Amino acid sequence: MEPIIKVENLDLYYDKFQALKKISLEIPQNKVTALIGPSGCGKSTFLRCLNRMNDLIEGMRMDGTILFHGEHSESSAYDVIGLRKKVGMVFQRPNPFPMSIFDNVAFGPRQQGEKNKQVLKEIMEKSLKQAALWDEVSDRLSESATKLSGGQQQRLCIARAIAMEPEVILMDEPTSALDPLATQRIEDLIEELKKNYTIIIVTHSMQQAARISDKTAFFLMGEVIEYGNTADIFANPNDKRTEDYITGRFG
Amino acid sequence: MRNKTRLSDILLNGFVYLATSLSVLALGLIFFYVFTEGKDLLSLDLIRGNYHSRNYVATLPQSSNDSFNLQPTEQTFAIERFGLILEQSENLAGDSVIRVVYVAEDSPFSQLVLQETGNEVVSLKEGMIMMRIAYENHPTSLTSRGAAAMAADLNDPDRVVREVMFAQVGGGIRGSIITTVYLIGLTLMMALPLGVLSAIFFNEFAPRNMITKTMRTFTETLTGVPSIIFGLLGITVFVPLTIRITPASGSNLIAGAMTLAVILLPTIIRTTEEALKVVPADHRFASLALGANKTQTVFKVVLPQAIPGILTATFLGIGRIIGESAALIFVLGAAIKDSVNIYQPSTSLAVHIWAMMTDEPANVALSSTIAIIILMIVLVMNLSIKGVVSLMIKKGRA
Repeated sequence: MEPIIKVENLDLYYDKFQALKKISLEIPQNKVTALIGPSGCGKSTFLRCLNRMNDLIEGMRMDGTILFHGEHSESSAYDVIGLRKKVGMVFQRPNPFPMSIFDNVAFGPRQQGEKNKQVLKEIMEKSLKQAALWDEVSDRLSESATKLSGGQQQRLCIARAIAMEPEVILMDEPTSALDPLATQRIEDLIEELKKNYTIIIVTHSMQQAARISDKTAFFLMGEVIEYGNTADIFANPNDKRTEDYITGRFG
Repeated sequence: MRNKTRLSDILLNGFVYLATSLSVLALGLIFFYVFTEGKDLLSLDLIRGNYHSRNYVATLPQSSNDSFNLQPTEQTFAIERFGLILEQSENLAGDSVIRVVYVAEDSPFSQLVLQETGNEVVSLKEGMIMMRIAYENHPTSLTSRGAAAMAADLNDPDRVVREVMFAQVGGGIRGSIITTVYLIGLTLMMALPLGVLSAIFFNEFAPRNMITKTMRTFTETLTGVPSIIFGLLGITVFVPLTIRITPASGSNLIAGAMTLAVILLPTIIRTTEEALKVVPADHRFASLALGANKTQTVFKVVLPQAIPGILTATFLGIGRIIGESAALIFVLGAAIKDSVNIYQPSTSLAVHIWAMMTDEPANVALSSTIAIIILMIVLVMNLSIKGVVSLMIKKGRA
């Protein structure tokens, strides 16, 4: 199957500092791809290239190509807002807006001009169900989202991203601020979501990458050292550095 | 070595406590002074009443030598001949006056003829001020000689009343309260939208370059400029401007509000900017990542969270409006008015205090009473804004 995202020779600079060096990756559709590596290795930077969130950082410069469905999504002519609608994002810390649960999920569609209350209600219910949050909040949709627990807030953020009906969901260490139980629920959810979405997840936890991902890319100092099927990478890594990292010798 | 450290600790702690006590004491003394000086004059009549008294000059058509049966108290003086009771009193502004306590139903004084028109009947009413009574061939009774003397003169059967001058009580501050309310409303209507939108520009849209940096520094510097300089701006720019585009012909309330709006702008911009700065960057990213554009992000996600800060800015603004006097004396004038018109000069409460204190002699009591009213307005504003903010936070909307 044709990869949904194809990155070729991607270089990225913050002013003079080169954060990504000649990255080439193919992200397969409806699979979970994990990006692992020590802090500062460029995995989050790479993730943010895929929905052009790096555009917001001053002094950022990018060379190379990122093909989304075969189109140059890195070019300045590409419709960034359209890209972000198709490539959703979940952040490290749960960041629901201080609005009601309903308004949070309806935020994206509303900004696209959807005003019909019935339509919004259907989108909201469908998204919350997909994010496995519906049963817990269906009786208090008008309450503020900030009153939910951390794990619930993160699932709400996933629901909020799903409401845009994206094709890809980027997750930047989505469980690092959560307790083990809430983490478990998010991991179960990711397993469920990959039927409909392509998921790219940055994680610091080797076990998490091993548990949930189909593909793994190991980043080090802005380079991709190794990329392949998760099972292969964890069972017999090709590179010494990959082995050192996943066996916990550094990082 | 150890002992030395302890001693300096004790000294530092001592300074902390001393400084705190001194500040609290100073602030407490202001409240105490204002309340003890001003509480006696505080009344609904003062708040509702006109400042300017209305004077009547009238003649007494029918003289009477009936003897009315009156029951004066120890502090009041009965005039059996005319059925009146007078007392020595003070008007709303605290000046010494002779007040009418009682007028009998069939008293000749309830059937006076207004001298101006010659046929209009006016009646002296309880609560009015007796100013002067002139007689044929006898010296006039004046306020300055007191109620007792006036009562004695009137009771003298030899005296024939030629002319009576009396007044509706004045000294009320209703007009100044209304002016202040107008000023608050008009100023905020201008300053809030301008200030909040400018803050949004500086914090959300402005590119970080020399031009915006200079603009920001300039704006911040304006916070420290004495308001009288803004008053100059008002008199040279806003007064002529309002004269040109409104029916105003001199100093006026709209020009006053414009001047105050300029005074408030730096504060509102800064406070709003601070409020925008503390909105987590994560929320902006989340909104943008959902495909919202910059404008949607600012107005739908960031601005609603800054509302508590904007309310604080509003509160600070109201404080400045109520407290401003120097700039307003130029632009709004110091003429105390009973019927307020936004195209005409009038006086806010703070300028009213200034007017009272530059009077000869200075009226400290009334100034203190106005100060109490100002303090109460500020307190109520503060509490209600705090209430709204804590309600928003409790509901998780900010």
